[in-house]
Amino acid sequence: MNQSGEEKVNELSKILLEVGSLLMSSGANSSRIRMTISRIAGAYDYDVDLLITHRALMLTIYNEERDYFFSRLKRTSPHGVNFKMVSGISRMSWRIVEENWGMDQVQKELDRLKSLPHYPRIIILAMVGAAGAGFCRVFGGVYLELLVTFVATFIGLYVRQEAVKRSFNPYLAIFFAAFVSSMIAGLALKLKVGPNPEYAFATSVLYLIPGVPLINSLSDLLDGNIMNGIVRGVNGLMISLSIALGMLGAVLIYGI
Amino acid sequence: MQEWLHFIDRWFWLGMGAIGFAILFNVPKRTIFTIFLLGAFGGTLKFIVLAAGGGIILGSFFGAMLVGFASIFAAHYRHTPPFVLAIPAVIPMVPGAFAYRAMLGIIHLTEKIDHETFLKLMEETVDNGLKAFFVLAALSLGVSAPMLIFRRESAKNLVVRIKPDEARSK
Repeated sequence: MNQSGEEKVNELSKILLEVGSLLMSSGANSSRIRMTISRIAGAYDYDVDLLITHRALMLTIYNEERDYFFSRLKRTSPHGVNFKMVSGISRMSWRIVEENWGMDQVQKELDRLKSLPHYPRIIILAMVGAAGAGFCRVFGGVYLELLVTFVATFIGLYVRQEAVKRSFNPYLAIFFAAFVSSMIAGLALKLKVGPNPEYAFATSVLYLIPGVPLINSLSDLLDGNIMNGIVRGVNGLMISLSIALGMLGAVLIYGI
Repeated sequence: MQEWLHFIDRWFWLGMGAIGFAILFNVPKRTIFTIFLLGAFGGTLKFIVLAAGGGIILGSFFGAMLVGFASIFAAHYRHTPPFVLAIPAVIPMVPGAFAYRAMLGIIHLTEKIDHETFLKLMEETVDNGLKAFFVLAALSLGVSAPMLIFRRESAKNLVVRIKPDEARSK
């Protein structure tokens, strides 16, 4: 504590904000962010207060005994759901408490978590395609329609990934994906492939549904983080609107 | 016999839907099989409640509650926060179809249409929109039900008495 307490607080605040911003962009809800940050700060005998918003985090560290506080603000990076990060940070926070980790150890673990790879692209595409086919099956489709949904989902997700890579607006990327998917499934509907091609059409865009923003929105509202809940809910609505507009494009072109 | 086959078929595809989203959300590898089981059984419970005449909202609530409770137990063995398991597992139950039908309805309402069609479309749109909202609320309430009932900040503080030496009693 005596040895340059200020530097220590400075380093701790950087780590805490990094943890918070990683959690926010990986799809954790507000109470989890608050809980994890307090837990890590508690392990180093500091108290923190947090202001959590969608695009920025503000943190004040204070020490009652020495009447000292320190504030810092950090912008959060663009959102992309990554549960490996959430799970890794949660495990790390418990190990900090139980194994008395030093701060450089924490920083090293954060760097390791950030470098963890995503699943290979082809596996993501194939599995999400299979999930789309699964939805179609649950709706009551037959195997021919499942195939249509698989192809529509596979290509639609590919388009979305490419659009995100070319840094299009995220809602526009979802619009493109929804449009391409429903153009493919709509073609099957137009050519009357299988007995109920409308099932394929309805399920071909389900992989875009904003499940994480909407569920987090409701759980934030339930926790009393009303502002964050509203922000996440509006984000979810914007995504739904993009999907609907993409489908509308296909509906208008095919006249179905 | 036919019914059983249909049942198992649907169980399997519900699980596939859950792990598709799990991979999209980049979950740790060790949790994938658990998510498959949670998604499959949660979705199946929803369809059982539907078949018993419970309606889509009640069905989603019970399905999500099953996922919520099971995810707390599974979290101890898979070493991950429960919601990492629970969210991909309930995503197949998210009312995407209702939500975008409501959105499409709103877009159609702005077109030039006569009074009769407008009323009919309005009725469908409001119905779909309300269902989407309440199913979503039911899902989120169901998933957080265990935490609300046990009133603990973290699942680690919930003692699971299956393997007493591994459970923590803090």
